[in-house]
This record gives sequence, C-alpha cells and structure tokens, in this order.
Amino acid sequence: MEPDASIETSSMIRVAVLPIASIPPLLFQDYAAMLLRHHTVSLNSISSFYTEHQKSPFANQPWDSGSLRFKFMLGGSPPSPWEDFQSNRKILAVIGLCHCPSSPDLLSVANQFTAACKSYSSSLVQRCFAFCPGDSQLEEESCKGSNIVLFPPADRQTQEFHLQTMVQDIAASLLMEFEKWVLQAESGGTILKTPLDSQASLSSEEVIKAKKRRLGRAQKTIGDYCLLAGSPVDANAHYSTALELTRLTADFFWHAGAMEGSVCALLIDRMGQKDPVLEDEVKYRYNSVILHYRKSFIQDNAQRVSPLSFELEATLKLARFLCRYSAYSLMQDFSKEVVELLTAAADGATSLIDASDKLVVYVEIARLFGALGYHRKAAFFSRQVAQLYLQQDNKLAAISAMQVLAMTTKAYRVQSRASSEPSHDDGQTYADGRKMHHYSIVSLFESQWSTLQMVVLREILLSAVRAGDPLAAWSAAARLLRSYYPLITPAGQNGLASALANSAVRLPLGTRCGDPALPFIRLHSFPLHSSQMDIVKRNLAREDWWVGSAPSGPFIYTPFSKGEPTHGDKQELTWVVGEPVQVLVELANPCGFEVKVDSIYLSVHSNNLDAFPVSVNLPPNSSKVITLSGIPTKEGPVSIPGCIVHCFGVITEHFFKEVDNLLIGATQGLVLSDPFRSCGAAKLKNAHVPNISVVPPLPLLVSHVVGGDSSVMLYEGEIRDVWISLANAGTVPVEQAHISFSGKNQDSIVSVASETLKSALPLKPGAEVKICATLKAWQLGITDPDAASSKGVPGTLGKQVKDGSSPMLLIHYAGQLINSGEPQTGSVPPPGRRLVIPLNICVLQGLSFVKARLLSMEIPARVGETYTKLVQLESDATERVHGSERQSDRFMKIDPYRGSWGLRLLELELSNPTDVVFETSVSLDMERPNNKDSSSHCTCAEFGDPKTRIDKECTARVLIPLEHFKLPILDGSFLVKGSQNNGNTGGRSPSFSEKDIKAELNASTKSLISRIKVRWQSGRNSSGELDIKDAIQAALQASVMDVLLPDPLTFGFRLAKSSLDHSAKLISPKKSDMQVNSLGSGGSINAHDMTAMEVLVRNNTKETIKIDLSITCKDVAGENCIEGDKATVLWEGVLTGIGKEVSPLQEIRHVFSLYFLIPGEYTMSAAAVIDDANEVLRARARTRSSDEPIFCRGPPFHVRVNGTA
Amino acid sequence: MANTACFMIVSKNDIPIYEAEVGTVPKKEDAAHQHQFILHAALDIVQDMAWTTSAMFLKAIDRFNDLVVSVYIKVIHTRLMLLHDSRNDDGIKSFFQEVHELYIKTLLNPLYLPGSRITSSHFDTKVRALARKYM
Repeated sequence: MEPDASIETSSMIRVAVLPIASIPPLLFQDYAAMLLRHHTVSLNSISSFYTEHQKSPFANQPWDSGSLRFKFMLGGSPPSPWEDFQSNRKILAVIGLCHCPSSPDLLSVANQFTAACKSYSSSLVQRCFAFCPGDSQLEEESCKGSNIVLFPPADRQTQEFHLQTMVQDIAASLLMEFEKWVLQAESGGTILKTPLDSQASLSSEEVIKAKKRRLGRAQKTIGDYCLLAGSPVDANAHYSTALELTRLTADFFWHAGAMEGSVCALLIDRMGQKDPVLEDEVKYRYNSVILHYRKSFIQDNAQRVSPLSFELEATLKLARFLCRYSAYSLMQDFSKEVVELLTAAADGATSLIDASDKLVVYVEIARLFGALGYHRKAAFFSRQVAQLYLQQDNKLAAISAMQVLAMTTKAYRVQSRASSEPSHDDGQTYADGRKMHHYSIVSLFESQWSTLQMVVLREILLSAVRAGDPLAAWSAAARLLRSYYPLITPAGQNGLASALANSAVRLPLGTRCGDPALPFIRLHSFPLHSSQMDIVKRNLAREDWWVGSAPSGPFIYTPFSKGEPTHGDKQELTWVVGEPVQVLVELANPCGFEVKVDSIYLSVHSNNLDAFPVSVNLPPNSSKVITLSGIPTKEGPVSIPGCIVHCFGVITEHFFKEVDNLLIGATQGLVLSDPFRSCGAAKLKNAHVPNISVVPPLPLLVSHVVGGDSSVMLYEGEIRDVWISLANAGTVPVEQAHISFSGKNQDSIVSVASETLKSALPLKPGAEVKICATLKAWQLGITDPDAASSKGVPGTLGKQVKDGSSPMLLIHYAGQLINSGEPQTGSVPPPGRRLVIPLNICVLQGLSFVKARLLSMEIPARVGETYTKLVQLESDATERVHGSERQSDRFMKIDPYRGSWGLRLLELELSNPTDVVFETSVSLDMERPNNKDSSSHCTCAEFGDPKTRIDKECTARVLIPLEHFKLPILDGSFLVKGSQNNGNTGGRSPSFSEKDIKAELNASTKSLISRIKVRWQSGRNSSGELDIKDAIQAALQASVMDVLLPDPLTFGFRLAKSSLDHSAKLISPKKSDMQVNSLGSGGSINAHDMTAMEVLVRNNTKETIKIDLSITCKDVAGENCIEGDKATVLWEGVLTGIGKEVSPLQEIRHVFSLYFLIPGEYTMSAAAVIDDANEVLRARARTRSSDEPIFCRGPPFHVRVNGTA
Repeated sequence: MANTACFMIVSKNDIPIYEAEVGTVPKKEDAAHQHQFILHAALDIVQDMAWTTSAMFLKAIDRFNDLVVSVYIKVIHTRLMLLHDSRNDDGIKSFFQEVHELYIKTLLNPLYLPGSRITSSHFDTKVRALARKYM
C-alpha cells in the first residue's frame, strides 16, 4: 500500500531525492522545492537532449503533446517487493542535492553520492546537484567524470532555469534508458516475480506454469515502461497483449495489473477530456480490476502475503478518480458510489495484515471523505488513524497521532483557538448578543457531542504527553477542563490539573497558549466615576458648556428620553490619561481543586492602557469579584475584550464574550452547566462593555471643607461661613470654573464666593484656592421638632443629615481647549469635569418660636414744654411729609411727657429647648419706611437695651413696638373703595382697582414684617436669625390697619409760649425731658398760677377737615373739674365748641389758660367732632352710616400741678 | 441473543439531544464512545441521503465493521439514529415509529424547549423498554 495512489500513479517515474553530505535541512527543503516544480517534463522540451541510438521501441510516442511525469521521493524509499509487478514502484533515478559551502570537498561528495546510489539498484540515472560552489570548487577537476552537476552561484531565476535544463537532461537520459530496457526485455527473457509467487522450490508443474506466464508478465512490464516513457498508445498495445496472455494463463494478479495499466494508458491518452463515456469505461474496467485482484487471492500463502492491499489500492484509486471527477462535473454526483467504495475499503482494511497498510488505507479514506466534504466521516477515519498510531508505542507515532487528531478537532468542534481562524464575529457587539435569536444561540452550541469531544481531547492530551509536546498537552487539558468540567469526576479534574501543571513545568516561562483554562471570567461592572471626578461633555456652543451633557439626576432611565432603546443602553465611558481606572470582573472556579491565578490583568487590544496585574486564589467551587485596574496612557478608544490570565504556568487570554455566550447557552439549557451559578455566584445581568474612550489629561479638583469634612452642626436659622478649599490635583490647569447649587434646601446657601474662584483661574496644577460659602440653616420640618422637643434630646436630630437634605455645590470646571483659536469642526473638545461638594449640614433644633401676640398699651403723656415730634415735623414742613424721617425716633424710649396712647407691641414668645444659651436681639431695619422712594441710606434702629438671654430649656418674650410703622399720612388709597375719590388723592387714577389697593397694603405689611428681625447668638460663633415672618403676619393680620394707619387727627398739649418766663429753663435741658422719671423737673405747673397751654391738632389727612374741638380736664378721681359745681380749675379762653378748620397735613393750635386751685394730678384730653367727614375718614372710623358724626378723641395728657409751697 | 445497539436522537442543529446504549451486550466505555463516533460520522451520509429520498426510514445507511446505522428522519429534520448489529429490520422500524411517537409527546410538553436535551427519565425508561421489545 502506498499513500496518495491514483490511477495515474502508474505513469510516474520515481526519482529518489537524497541529501548528500552535510546539507542544512532548510536548504535541502528549499532546493527540493525548486526541483519538485519540474514534476512534468514535456517530451518536446527534451528532444534536444535525446539521441536515438537504435530504433525506438516507443513507436507511437507523442513528441509534440506527451510528457514524462516524475514522482520525487524526498529522502528516498526502501525498495518494494512489488517492483517487478509495477515498474513505477522502482526508483528509476537518483538525484542528490548538495550544498557546496557546507561540504567543500567535492570528491567526498561524489563518493558519498555513489554510496547512496548503491542502495537503489534499480536506478538508471544518477545525478548529484551541487549548489553554490566556490570558485575553487568550480575549477576542481576531481568531479569531472562523476555525476556531480555544479550550479554556479546565480540569482534564483537563473538557477531555476539551470535546474529545469538539468531535469530535462535527466528525463532524456531516462527515456533512452527505458528504450534500452524495453529492447532488452523484448529480446531476452527476464524473469518477473512477485511475492505472491511461491518462494519455495518450484515444483516442475509450477516451473512450466511460470514459463507460460512469463511472456504475459513481460508484455505487462513493457507496457509499464511505455507508460513511464509517456507513450500511452504503445503501452496500450502491450497491455492488450498482456491481458490476452495472462487471461490464458489464469494469471489473475498480473491480469488485473495489466488492466490497471491499460486504464492508466487510456486516461493519459485522453488527458484533459471529460466525457461520461470515458467515465463509465474507467469505472467498468476498474471494477473488473478489483474483481481480478480479489480472484487472485490464494489461500495457501494468505498468511504471508495477500493481494488484498492491491485490491484496496485499486478501490481507493477508483474512488479518488470518481471523487475528482464529481468535483468537476455538475451533472453527475458520484458521492454515493464513492461512499460505497470507501465503506468497502474500510471493511477490507480490517483484514489487512500489515498495520502500516491499514494506516494508509484509513488515511486515504479520511482524505477522500474530506475531499467529498464529509468532514465528520473524515474525522472519524482520522481518529482511526490516530488510534493505530497510538497503538505503536513510540514518540514519532505519537506525534503523528497528535497531528492527525489536531485535524479532526474542527469536525468535532474542539479546535484550539490558536488553530481556528480568528473569530469572524468580533465586531458583534454585546448589545447584539443579548438580542440574539434563540436559534442563533443554538447555533453557537452546534454539534455539542460532549462525549466525543471529551474522548478526542483526551486522546490529544494522551498523544501530546507521549509525543512530548507540553504546549499541546496543556492546551488539550485546558480545553477539556474548561468545557467539560461538569462531566469529569473530581478525581479526573485533579488529574487534569496535575497534567496542566506537569506540562507547564516543561514549558519555558511566559509561554502563551490560545486556549484558556480556568477560571471563568465575566465582566461584572464598570464602576462609574465618583462624583468627585465626574466627567462632563463640553458643549462649545454654549457659555454654560455643561448644560445638557450628562444626566445629572439619579435616574439612568427617564421616561421622556425617546429614541431607540438599543442606542440608549450603549453606555459611554470616558477615561482620562494618567488617572487610574477600575473594572470589576467575576471569576469562577467550578472545579474541585484550588485555582491559583498567578496574575490577572485586563487585556487591552488598543494598547493604550497599562493594566495592573493582581493575583487571586480561588478555593474549590467558588467565585469571586475582583477589581482590575489600569492607567490609560494614550487617548483614543479602548477595547477590553477580556483578561490575560497567568494560571497553571501558562499565559492565556480569556474573552468575556465566550463566557457570555456560554451563559446564554446555560440559560437555554444547551450547555451542561453555568460555572457561575454552580459556584453560588449571584445572577448577574449581562454586563456589556460600554464604549470607552480615553481623553487627554484633565484638571482634577479636590475639595475639602476647611476645619474638617464632617458635617456642620447648625441650629435652625444659624448663619455661618464655611471655607472650602479647592486644590487642583491634576496635571492640567483649570481654565474655567462655575459654581452652582443642587440638591435639597438649596436656599440655605446664602452666598458663595464664586468670584474668588474666578479670580484664581487659571488654577495651576497643585494650586489651591479657598472659597467661602455662607450657609443659613433651614427650619426643621414641622413634624420633627415636635418629636424632638418632646424628647428633648437634640442628638436625635442627627439623623436629619442622612436623608440627603443637605445641599450640594456643583463646580463645573474644565481645562484649556486645545485649539483655542477656531474650534475645528468634528474635533471633540476635551470634556470638562464636575465636582460635587456635598455640604453636610446637620440642622439642630434651635431657638424656637412659640407664638406672637399683638399687645396694646396706653401710657398717658404729660403736658410739658417738650413736644411731640409733630412740632419738629412742622419745622421741616417744606419737605414732603412721607419723605421726612423721624430721625430722632428713639424707638422704644417711652417719653413720659409724650405718652403713648394706643401703643401696639408685638410680643414674641420664644423658647429654647436646647442645652445652650441663646441671646436674642430684635432689630428693625429702617431702611425702607415705605416701599416707595427708598432713596434713604441704611438706618438700622436697634434697641439700646441689652440682649435678651434665654437660658436652656426656658422661654422668654421679646417685645417689638410697632409704633414706627404708622404711616405719616392717612391716605385715602388704603381705605377708599369704589370710585368715590376726591381730588385729594392726587395723581392716582380714579379707576384704582381694589386689587391694587390690596396689593399695596400687602406690600406695606410685608415691608413692615421684613423689617423686624430677631437675631440670636449662642456661644462665640453661632449666630443666626429667627424666621418668624409667617408668625408675625398671622399676628398682625387682624389689626394691620390699626397698626399701619394713623388716626386722622393727632392731639397734643403743651405749655404755651406765653408762660415762657416759667418754662424757659425747661426748654433748654431737652434731654432731661426725655427721662422717664424726671417728674419733678417736668412738673413745672404750679397751683394758683395762670398757666397758659395750647392744644395742637394735626390733620393727618390730605384734605382740610373741619372740626369742633373741645377740651376737658379731669382730676385724679376722673371727675370733670372744669365744669360743674365742684370745679377746681378755673379757665380762660374757649374750651368747648371751638370750630376750627385744619388744612391738610398741617396743625392748628388753640391757646387757652388754666388756673389750678388744688395741686395734684390732672388729666387733660382733647376731642373733636369732625364735620362733613369724607369717605376716607368714615372708612377709618368704621362708621356705619354717613350721618353718624365722627368723633375723634386724643390721648390723655397728665398734668402735675405742684403746690405753691 | 446478545446484541449491540446505540440509540441517539440528533436535533436539526446536529446536537445530540438524547443518547442511550440499548444493547444487551455488557457495556464497555470505549465501545460506547466508538458507537457515538460512528453515529456522528454517519451524519454526513444521512445529510446527503435525506434529500434524495422521501422515505423516513433509511435502513442501514452506513456501516462500520459489523455495525450498521439506521436512521429515521423526522419532518423537522430531527434524526433518530440507531447503531445496531442485528438485522431485524422490521423490529427496528417499529422501534423507530414508537420512539417517534414518544418524542412527539415530549415536544408537546410546553416546558420542553425544542432543540434542547431530553432529560426526562420517563422518556428514557420508555425508550429502553421499546428497545427490549423490538430488538
């Protein structure tokens, strides 16, 4: 049996190609390859070398179309016992290849060549080709006469041409030798024998038989030579004769051989023709060849030799022929016939005696099945071959077995990743993978013949171990372990682990293998940037470049974002050059032994990430999530398809996608087991690799709150400055920065010194800037204080911090734009960043407001030289009334001489539930006496009195006088409803709507309220303000009119100028009058003295009022002491029914004199009845009918009358 | 009579979804592998033959040594394959028909995903019983 046999083999001249002397193997291969190209030499090209010595026996040689075919046997081959039977089995020529520089002595080369040729006794021509001879060798004489042909050093083309010429020479020589041989054979009697013929001493009968047969055999052999000489017609003639002769002598074996030769001659003759008739002819003849070979089976020497191999060879030749033919023809499909032939050959192979023959048959069957496209069949027979190899217990056979098995891996789908073509679906994204249709998932696991796959892998492992190929062994063990661990017993798993370890020992350090072993690795997640390092895309078109970039909210999915969801879930991830990044991966070891991962790091195909290796130990049946980190080195996209793992002594690359596919298969029940689930790992949603891009270095702001990053404890309403230090920890200066607020309670940030930050730009790397933020603690919720105050433990409020009620400072900052000149279209600007500084504010319950009340108070005034402010008002009467400010207004000093009638006070009750002391002070912001014409400067009136101290767990009350908020004029605008305005309302439009009035009233009320501020202080550095606006408004709501609006008329008494002689000294020390208790000095009225007094009436409205003024005086008992029987006061002037007319905003005086008979306390009061009151006054007086007289009563004034003592 | 038989169901994606050694010959692990290898290799031939004939039962479609492969091809290209050494064609045919029926019953199970492995022990028991009955 010979491999690669085909029908045409019979026409090929065997040439042994031998390496002569010490030729390097690579050069030998190179020269041999050059030689192998000349396997066919056309007859007309050799005609120049051919000389016809005698008449050629090949009469019909086609000189113009025919050719000689060579079969070069590299390294030669041992002589076959069947040489006589088939002449093409003879080595007819020997070609030696020699490399002169490595073997300088040509003589010894010649000797060696001659020696090598000795073993090829059948060779007719010998040549030794010596390449690249040196000059000295070229000149050497010794090789003349020997067969050495020197190839002078030249370029390749010339050498090839030279070689072709030499081959043609050889061909011509062979042709002449064949002629010689044929002529000799025709004349002389050559004895042709085969091993089939009995070797024992021939009996006479057999000798006769052999003699008979000799002629037929000779004819057959001549036919063979004709065929070799490229003359099929001659060959056919001889074969026909031989067929006749052998048939007559019942020499079936030779008959079949001759028939085989005739088919070959037929094919050579019809070379290149394709017709079905030829096809059928060949088929028919070959079937009879096979039949005759079978017939030639002789029982008696079956043990020793059998023509079976020829029968099988013929079968395979036919199969090859049909197979080749069916590959060309579309009309006929011979695959069924080929399969039958091959099946028959396989059946026959079992009874072959020689193991190597069996091997060859199986190899051929496998090749033919492969050629037919029956890969599984081919793999099956390849495996048979491998098993035959494995039966021979030697290393070379094991290597062969390993190589044959490696060829089967594709059919059994266990091929090594290194040998398989690069996966074509690399571009397939994870998103696509998730949407994969069920059937395409199934296709991923096609041909999961796990039993077979395991067997094949085990055989590969076994052969690799035997062959001493540690890498192949490692790879097979890794594949076996990774794919089939659920089917392998723990003992088997341990065995594989030790096989891996043993192989690794023999491998050089750092060997890489395409097939990953354990552990299974899947992508767990990509941790997002911390809020401190958030990266924000820059929108160049806008000044506020951060707007509309990354979603800043906590929601990844917003129901409003439209667009295809597949696009949406493709996350974008930005990494920055030089800043470490992290990726979480999950490792699983589902096997029963501990896996020691020496190092694992991210595999980055884009070469722009420095990955940091880590080592992990995975106990049996366990999984672990680990963090792999790296530093991006170059900008551009990053792709992370998997991890590089150094485990079991070999470096392998593990792709995430393969594990993902495996997991998909596991969910569909197509794969044996999910390695992660069997290890108890949590089910993980398919993490997919986002688009990662690396951007150039960005600035990096790092913040900390000066004085500690822990939360700031503030009492409600407390105002405090917090200093925040910002440092640039990046390598690029910060060029732009903007501060904004977010989160809850944003209004608690009163101000942030963003100017400071702006002015510090550009912030160089390493530079630091401190900015100040003013915080004001917000009020705690309404429900909370109740709970807290009932417990009385302020610490319980600490939980307030955790609910995220604190505001945050957002700082958007960015480095320089690379091309600051004109932004190129298409170029993406480097992104900016966002720094989130959470202001951890812990608000504690502070001073709390209990309630507000409006109180009124009446203190009678004293009649004296000093006068009310109204006097002073008169002096600057030229000024606009409402513009004049009562500058001297010492707010809460009650002037005993002036008194206060209808004084209204706002009482605030404050409680202090905390354990610290609070001091409060009330201030009135007098900035805006009314909301119009606020040209005035800041005049903040504050009480002179000390602060009110509220001890812990105490309550206190604070009084706020509201007197000052009275408007100077009683303006109709507040009161008049409807259109009944008279002209005095000035420029106001008559169609003054009610809404506007209300609005104005509200505004003035609001301004009133906003001017009242209750500030508090606690300890050294806590201070704040109570937020009591709502409470005050509630308290004032009912009587806001009374508080705000003045009475239409103001009354006042004073001593008249006529008594100047008495009171002169009293006027000058004005300050003394202010003292509350200086009754003595104030009481300058003496009894039994005519005291001139005057009553002042001021009109607070904008129109003239006619009044009917009357004055009364009462004694301590309240008796009227002017009129009646017991009048104790005499008087001069008019006291009742004084008809007066007061012009708007002016005052009148009415002088009268009193003569007190008895010293003591008297009370004087003035009253007036307003005639012809207008709407404004009526509204103010809240009269019910228009007829009702309006009665105005002034506040009481005290008069102290001293005795005359 | 001791005989060898290996029965397999191969889905249309060439995935074996059921396999059983149903012969009465004492099991040898190597032999079992060999049976599967033969059946796997026979798929090539079945694949070609399936399109040339309308018959569902393909008798002795392939052989290796003394083992013969018979195949019953379903409409959805699921193949019931039997490797056997007995020549009891009628029995084999009946066996295939009955197993086919069983397989259809399995397919009707809403929890069974077509194309995945048949893990039902009931199916296994029934198949083995049928094998004993017909071979």
